[in-house]
Amino acid sequence: MTAFVLATIIGGLFALGTFLVLRRDLLRVVWGLAIISQAANIFLITVGGIVDGTAEAVPVLAGHDGAANTTDPLVQALVLTAIVIGFGMTAFALVLTFRVYDENETMDVTELEEDL
Amino acid sequence: MTELFVVAPMLVALSTAVVTLVARRWPNLQIGASILGVTVYGATIGWLTWRVVLAPDAPGAVAYQVAGHRAPFGITLVADALSAFMLAMAAVVAVAALVFSVSYMDPRDQQISYHPLFHFMLLGITGAFLTGDLFNLFVWFEVMLMASYAFVVFYGGPEHTRAALWYVVLNIVASAVMLLAIGGLYAATGTLNMAHMASRLADPAASGVRVAPVVGLSTLLFAVFALKAGLVPFQFWVPAAYQAAPLPVTAVLAAATKKVGMYAIIRLYFTVFAAAPTVVELPGIAGQSPLAFSGPLLFVMGVASVAIGGFGAVAATSIEEVLAYSSIGQVGFIAIPIAVAATADTPAVQRIAVIAALVYALNHALSKGLLFLSAAAVRDATGTGEFAELGGIAGRMPVVSGVFFVGMLSLVGIPPLAGFFGKFLVFDAALRGESAIALGALLGGAILTIIYTTQTWTQGFWGEPTVAVNDAVMNHSQLAIIVALALVILAAGVWFDSVYQFADAAAAAAIDRTAYIDAVSDGGAWT
Repeated sequence: MTAFVLATIIGGLFALGTFLVLRRDLLRVVWGLAIISQAANIFLITVGGIVDGTAEAVPVLAGHDGAANTTDPLVQALVLTAIVIGFGMTAFALVLTFRVYDENETMDVTELEEDL
Repeated sequence: MTELFVVAPMLVALSTAVVTLVARRWPNLQIGASILGVTVYGATIGWLTWRVVLAPDAPGAVAYQVAGHRAPFGITLVADALSAFMLAMAAVVAVAALVFSVSYMDPRDQQISYHPLFHFMLLGITGAFLTGDLFNLFVWFEVMLMASYAFVVFYGGPEHTRAALWYVVLNIVASAVMLLAIGGLYAATGTLNMAHMASRLADPAASGVRVAPVVGLSTLLFAVFALKAGLVPFQFWVPAAYQAAPLPVTAVLAAATKKVGMYAIIRLYFTVFAAAPTVVELPGIAGQSPLAFSGPLLFVMGVASVAIGGFGAVAATSIEEVLAYSSIGQVGFIAIPIAVAATADTPAVQRIAVIAALVYALNHALSKGLLFLSAAAVRDATGTGEFAELGGIAGRMPVVSGVFFVGMLSLVGIPPLAGFFGKFLVFDAALRGESAIALGALLGGAILTIIYTTQTWTQGFWGEPTVAVNDAVMNHSQLAIIVALALVILAAGVWFDSVYQFADAAAAAAIDRTAYIDAVSDGGAWT
C-alpha cells in the first residue's frame, strides 16, 4: 500500500514538474526544476526498500537490539547530499532568473529565445 | 599512505581554490598562488601518471580508500591508465589556459572570482576522472557544473545570462535524471561502487542481481553523459554557452569538461555494464552484453553530431562560433569509434577502436584548446572575433596566424601533427568494424572540417587588413603560451609512438575489468 501511494506521488510530482518546465514563464520553469529535483529525492528514499511499519521495525521503539530491522542508511545519506546540492542549484537558478529579467526585461522564454 | 598520489591532484586543486578565495584582497598574491597551484597540479598528475603507468614496476591501477573505509562500503578513488590519460590531457590544457588568462582577463574580473572558480572546476573534473563510486561521480559532476555555470554567466550581459539559463535548466534536469538512474542501479545491484557493481553483474546468479533493469537504467544514464559531452540531440546548449564563457575557460570546457562525458561512457559501459551477461537478439542487433544496445544508439548520435556540428560550423559568422560548432562535430568523431568498439565482434577490434577514440579525444583536446586560446589572443588584440570585422591577420600577426594554422591542420588531420594519427586510427577502426555508414559519415565529416577551416582562414586571416586588425597590438606572454601549446601538438605527432602506447594502456584498462576489480577490492575478495 505504502509503495503504491509513494509511486503515485513520485509519478504525479514528475508530471507536474515536467508540465511547469514546459511553461513560458521563467519563474514556473524554475519551480518545475525544484519539483523534479524533489521527486528524484523521494525516489531515492524509496530505493532503500519499503517495509510496513511495526513497533519492532522502528529502532527508537524497539530498542537497540532490533538493529537488523533498520532501513538502509545509505539511501538516506545519498538523499541528504542530493537535497543540499538541489538546494544550491535552485538558489542559483532563482538568482539567475532575476539577472535574466534584469538584463533582458522579459520573463517570457519564447521572447528570450527570439533574441538569441 | 603510499597511495597518497591518487588523491594529490584533488588536494592541490582544492587548496589552491581556497587560497585564491582568501587572497582576494592581494591580487598579485592571488595570481601567484593560482599559477603556482596549477603548476603543482600539473606536476602531481605527472607524478600520478608515472606511478600508475610509466614507471617500470607500475601496477596499472591503484585504489585509494577515502578515510580508510574499505570498498565497497567507503568511497574509492581509482587511478588507472584510463584516468591518467584523461587527467594528463586535461592538465596540459588547464595549465596553458590559466597562465593565458592572467594576461587576458580584466584584473578586476580576476580578483572577484575567476581564480577560485577555475580551480573548483579543475577539482570537479579531476574528481570525476578519479572516482570509483557512482554517486560520487554525480557529486563531482555537480562541483564541475556549478563552477561552469558561474563561468558562462561571468560577463553578466543579456546574451550571457540567456546562455547560462539554458545551460543551467538542462543540467538540473539532467542531474535529476542521473539521480533516478543511480538510485535505480543501487536498487537493482545493491552497490554503488563501480568495481563491486561490475563483479556482481558478471555473476548475476550468485549475487542475486537482475540484469534486465540494469540495461534500461544504464540507457537512462547514457542520456546524461551524452548531454555533458554535447552529442546530438543534446547539443543545443553548446554554441551559446561556449561563446558566453571567457575564452580561456571555453578552452578548458571543450578540452576537459566535455571529455568527462566521454570518459564516463567508456568507463561505465565498457568496464562496468558490459560485465552483465545479456543475450540480445533484435533485428540487426545482436550481442552478449548491454553494449549491444548502447552501441547502435551512440553510433546514430555520433553520426548526427558529425553532420550537425560540421554544417553549423560552415554557416558560422565568427571564429568562436566556428570552434563551438566544430566541437559538436569533433565529439561525434570520438563517439563513432566508441560505438564501433561497443558492437565489435573480436576483442582486438574493440581495443583498436577504443584506442582510436582516446587518441582522437587527445587530439581534439589539444587542438581545440589551442584554437580557443588563439581566438582569445586575436580577440584581445583586435577586440573582435566576427568575420565581418576581421581580415588580413596573417599579414599583420604572423605568429598567432601560424599557431592558428597548426591548430586547424591538426583538426583536419595533416601529418606530422597529432591530428593525423587521430583521424587515421578512427578511419582504421571504422574499416575494421566493417561499417560502411561509419566510413561515409567520417569522410563527410572530414570534408566538412576542411571546408570550415578553409573558410575561417580565408575570411579571417587572408585578404586586406581591416581597421580592427591594423590597430591590433599582440600580447607577448599570450603568444608564448600558444606557441608552447602548438609545440606540444607537434611533439605528440612526432613522438606518436609513446602517445600510442599510453592510449593502448588506457584502452586495455577500460576493457580489462579484472585488473580494475582487483585494484579496488584488494585481490578480488569483497568483505
